[in-house]
Amino acid sequence: MRLKFHFILLLLLLISASCEKEQFKDTSRVVIAIQSEPETLNPIYAFGLNEGVITDHLFLYLLDLKWNENKGDVEAFPMLAEKWQWNSDSTSIDIYLRNDAKWSDGKTVSAYDVVYSFDIYSDQQVQSRFYGMFKNFYHFENGEVDLEKTFAVKDSFHLIINFLPDKVISLFDLAFPVIPKHIYENINRSEIQTAEINFNPIINGAYKLKKWERNQFIILEANRECFLYDDEMIKEIIFKVTPDYNSALTQLKKGEIDFTEDIRPSDAKQLSNQKNLKLASVKGRQYDYVGWNNIDGKYFSETKKVKPHKFFGDKKVRQALSYAINRKEILSQYLLNYGSLCNSPISEIFVNEFDSSLTGFEYNPDKAKVLLREAGWADKNRNGILEKGNTEFLFTLHIPSGNPLREYAATVIKNNLKQVGIEVKVEKLEFGVLMDGLLNRKLDAWILAWFIPLPNELKSYWYSDLTQTQLNFAGYQSAEADKIILELEKKHSKEDYIKLMKKFQQIISEDQPVTFLYWFDNIVSYNKRIKNITINPFGAIQRIWEWRLEN
Amino acid sequence: MTKEYLILKRLLSSLLILFLVITLVFVLIRISPGDPTQKYISPKLSSQLAEEVRKSYGLDEPITIQYLNFIKNIFTGDFGISYEYRIPVLKVILEFLPVTLMLAFLSITMQLLLGYFTALFSVRRKNSLIDRLIRKSSVILYVTPGFVLGLILVFIFAVQFEIFPSSGFKSFYYDELTFIGRIKDIAAHLILPLLTLSIPGAALFYNYFRDGIEDVMNKDFVLYLKANGFSDKIIFRKHILPNSLKPILSVAGIELGFLLSGTLVTEVIFSLPGMGRLMMSSILSRDFPLVIACAFISALFIIISNFVFDLIKVKIDRRIWKEILS
Repeated sequence: MRLKFHFILLLLLLISASCEKEQFKDTSRVVIAIQSEPETLNPIYAFGLNEGVITDHLFLYLLDLKWNENKGDVEAFPMLAEKWQWNSDSTSIDIYLRNDAKWSDGKTVSAYDVVYSFDIYSDQQVQSRFYGMFKNFYHFENGEVDLEKTFAVKDSFHLIINFLPDKVISLFDLAFPVIPKHIYENINRSEIQTAEINFNPIINGAYKLKKWERNQFIILEANRECFLYDDEMIKEIIFKVTPDYNSALTQLKKGEIDFTEDIRPSDAKQLSNQKNLKLASVKGRQYDYVGWNNIDGKYFSETKKVKPHKFFGDKKVRQALSYAINRKEILSQYLLNYGSLCNSPISEIFVNEFDSSLTGFEYNPDKAKVLLREAGWADKNRNGILEKGNTEFLFTLHIPSGNPLREYAATVIKNNLKQVGIEVKVEKLEFGVLMDGLLNRKLDAWILAWFIPLPNELKSYWYSDLTQTQLNFAGYQSAEADKIILELEKKHSKEDYIKLMKKFQQIISEDQPVTFLYWFDNIVSYNKRIKNITINPFGAIQRIWEWRLEN
Repeated sequence: MTKEYLILKRLLSSLLILFLVITLVFVLIRISPGDPTQKYISPKLSSQLAEEVRKSYGLDEPITIQYLNFIKNIFTGDFGISYEYRIPVLKVILEFLPVTLMLAFLSITMQLLLGYFTALFSVRRKNSLIDRLIRKSSVILYVTPGFVLGLILVFIFAVQFEIFPSSGFKSFYYDELTFIGRIKDIAAHLILPLLTLSIPGAALFYNYFRDGIEDVMNKDFVLYLKANGFSDKIIFRKHILPNSLKPILSVAGIELGFLLSGTLVTEVIFSLPGMGRLMMSSILSRDFPLVIACAFISALFIIISNFVFDLIKVKIDRRIWKEILS
């Protein structure tokens, strides 16, 4: 009897709790699911994607860069800088700041904050995420910006930035969040990493931090002091840590979450049928590829010299492998066409630079067999596996564990290559172990994705000097490609730049240092009550101050 | 041997175990592939940055020097700074521990109570249809994986009936609630994770309790007591129950230790900030100081919980204190 009484009491309490919940539902809030918790809210150390997204709403940039889909390029609009003027040869820019931008402690954002931000970001001691990115500025050997030569502060709201004359300057050279000088100058630079300011920042952005519950959620609230504020803005943005994918989907359908990214294609159709949800995609920012180690990794690690890999050092073999892989099957069967075939590392989002004439390597096992024969591989002992001398064509394809797309792709690739006489063993590795193998050039073949940076960057991935390019995991060697990469670092007319980019795509497509598989979409689903969302190659979660809620 | 000597001996052996655990974890994590500075490798970042960070973590020093520094720091209570959170690791752990402690203690209590009362109910209806049904169901519940049970509970109670929230430890509007509202809010958030954690454990304890009670009930001394006119209640409370508890307390000690080390699957499904998730993320990001501190805390909890349950066993049956403490 007593037990029954307690049970009924508990039930009543819980029902009353759910009633209390109703009164908080009206607040202008949007809940965004994020898979892992940000480590910091300091833009200096916002290395992760989520951290970048959140800090971009806490700290303002000099310019507001927007993606123009028609041009396939960025365009600059006023932000902290209300106007600017380049000099005739684009080596210097006059920047006029707004005088109504405020820090959350009431101080005015000034030109001194801008200079100080560049100083901090380029300081070796600070270990900022922007360290080493100021090569177009006057700088010292250790990468630190030479403040005297670079900046001329005319007054609190007017400064001039000078660039090195022989460099290609882009708007991205000014795309850094501005941090408050009056706060940071009181912290020892080597101690910024562990300072309290990382968790409780003084901001100047459209939103400010309201609450941070460790590993649960971060609440940002609209910053009424910011010039971006207007009454229609969503008052609270909640970034909810939701590590489990299925749980995120359930909450999205229930309306507990309003926005989530990285939806699996197999779930997209079901979500599109939900009355309260809308689907969208970020296209052309990430592609999967099969990496072939072009060089003998062990030999390179020991001698720092390049020797072609016994299987993949031969261009004909790499081309044969690309012909043998049915990319379309993976794209249509697993990705359900949420993506497109990839023929080079230049995405079609770069409307002008993208070479649409490249057709890539269409699935053609017969052609693959011919190429392999030409390269000296034949099944002489009739055991179903090709040989060259005493070497049988068998290798291990490494994939990161816990990624269903790559597991599916690896199975298709294994079967495809078996048909042309190549034996593949698939091995899953934890991501950290896989990266270790790649950085130390221990792996022969792997499947990974590249998330392409904006602005486009080729040298880090494809330049032959492996001591300079850690990310050239494939060890791609091409004098011709190197020449173009170096040429791209110089000033060129737009037409010449496009020609060079197209030429690069033709070279790399011909060489097939890796098999480019497919560009895959970042599928996003959000509640229909959110309006005015911008989703483009810049990302899915951006410019939240422009989002609106349906009444 | 005196009791004090045995307790001291147990304490010293526990310290030795702790030392061995952290040494083993230190060695294992350092020799396994992967590097905490991997996240600093990106086309946008300077290649020098990763090197600078390695140096600042002291990872450029020989592993023996790193180990000696680490041990020296441990003795001063300093587990180092977390590479990921950029604050002292003990501070990080303190942020994650409350959820784990709450879940662990509530869950072990729920498991024991549910197991005990169901066993009692079952024993009283021995071999009846309901007894057979409970016994069969207990096996099914025990073998049901946590993530399956969690998802079923979420589907029923959060999605279909919308009685409980499907994830989190508290609501976004927690601060705006009244005191009672806050308690209710946390309770509503904890019910599904608690059920997910406790149902398989309760099924296990049910079997232990049931078998233990049944076994002792069939002993000759029970018959003797009954013949001497003792009431069933007294025989049960003073003789049957204490004699059937020994194996249950051993299992409970181990179970509590595991619960206190973190309950990864439940924490992931319900997005709870507990030790399991912390440990997992620290391993994946190669946050060496945090991994070691988590391992230390887990080992410490397992040792303490076993010790506490051993003391309870001694309290119930003083004859076994030598056996237990040594």
